Parts: sequence; structure tokens; C-alpha cells
Amino acid sequence: MSEFLIVIGMALGVLVLLVLYRVVFGPGVYNRIAAISAIGTKTLIMLLIMGFVFRRVDMFVDISMVYALLNFIGCLAVAKYLEMER
Amino acid sequence: MIRSSDDIIIGTVARVMIPFIQLFALYVIMHGHHSPGGGFQGGVILGASLVLLLITHGIDETKRLVSEKGIAIFGSAGLLIYSGIGLICLILLGNYLDYSRLYILLHVVPAKARSLGILGIETGVGFTVMAVMYSIFLDISTGGELPEDEEE
Repeated sequence: MSEFLIVIGMALGVLVLLVLYRVVFGPGVYNRIAAISAIGTKTLIMLLIMGFVFRRVDMFVDISMVYALLNFIGCLAVAKYLEMER
Repeated sequence: MIRSSDDIIIGTVARVMIPFIQLFALYVIMHGHHSPGGGFQGGVILGASLVLLLITHGIDETKRLVSEKGIAIFGSAGLLIYSGIGLICLILLGNYLDYSRLYILLHVVPAKARSLGILGIETGVGFTVMAVMYSIFLDISTGGELPEDEEE
């Protein structure tokens, strides 16, 4: 079971690299915001997988909730900044 | 200057989420010794909830709810809790922040007094971190200009 979860985590890591291309070369700033948000979501799932591998899910659920919260607020703050620039 | 958002989805989601964020922050502060977290992390989450309020509802509405003077008093109260508990331990012939001496006041075994003392310290740290985070964000977002209604 643990190997299965580790393989899934590595696959998610490869997917993060694919989305990172959109962050670096993506046309326009809105694509970049969406890509950063997607990376945050993948990181959250990887944190939960780490929790299952280490058998400490109760701790990692707290961390991942805070991560999702800060990801949401950061995304909103960047969007607000762009609205003010206009 | 951050104005209130016109989008109804953002405003409603923020209004629903902010109480749950603050409840989660209190959980992080209270359970700092069982799970990751503690005073600083809980204070940061509390401050993040205020920042979310400021982003979505604008500066005027946020200042009506959480005034600058009130948040300064709140942060100072957190510092007072921290140093006060440390000083009480000093008065009770212990070292500074030696919580086990608090058993004289609390009438519990020293181990329990140690746990309660740490909880008090974490509460003070959480207050101060929340207040300072909100204050810094408010100062940055106003760009250093003083509004007229604060002059009187």
C-alpha cells in the first residue's frame, strides 16, 4: 500500500512540473494565477499522501487545511492587486 | 486603496468562510501540544481571516468592524499576558516562565500547572501575532496616507 501511494505522489510531482511550464511561459498573468492555484492543490494532495505514508494522517490534515486556506487567500489577493492596477 | 468587491460570489464565500477560519485558528491554538500548530500558527490563521475580510469587503467596512486602535490594544494585551505569566512565575520564587511554580495559585499538580501555563503563553502569542499581522497589512494597503476621520 505504501509503495502505491509513493508512486502516486511521484506522478503528482511530474504533473507539477508540467503545470510549472504554464507558470513560466504562460501567456498572460491570468494563466499564471490559475497554474499557481493548481500547483497548490497538487501540493495539498501530496501532503495528504505523505500523511498516509507516515501513518500520521491526523497531523497532516491540519497542515493541508491551512495550506488550502492560504492558497485561496493568496490567489484572491493577487486578483485584487490586478484589479487595482487596471 | 482597497475597495469593496462588486462580485457577489467572492463576498458571500468570504462571509461564510471567515467564522470557520477563526474557529479553526482557535482549534490550532488550543491543540498546539497534540498536533502541529501553536500560538504563532493560530495567530497567523486568525490574521489571515482578517486579511480576507479586508480584501473582500474593503478598508472602510473592515475599519468599522476592527478599528486600528482596538487592534493595537489587543496586541498589547497579548504581550501583557505573556510577560505577566512570566513575571508571576518569577514572583512565586521560580525562574522566568517556569510554569511549574504556578501550582501554588492554581491548586493542581505541577505537571498540570505546566500545561496550563503553556496554554496561557500560547494565547498571548496568538493575540499579538494576529494584531501585528493585521496592522502591518492595513498600513501597507493604505500606502501610508492618513484618512481624515482618524484625525479627530
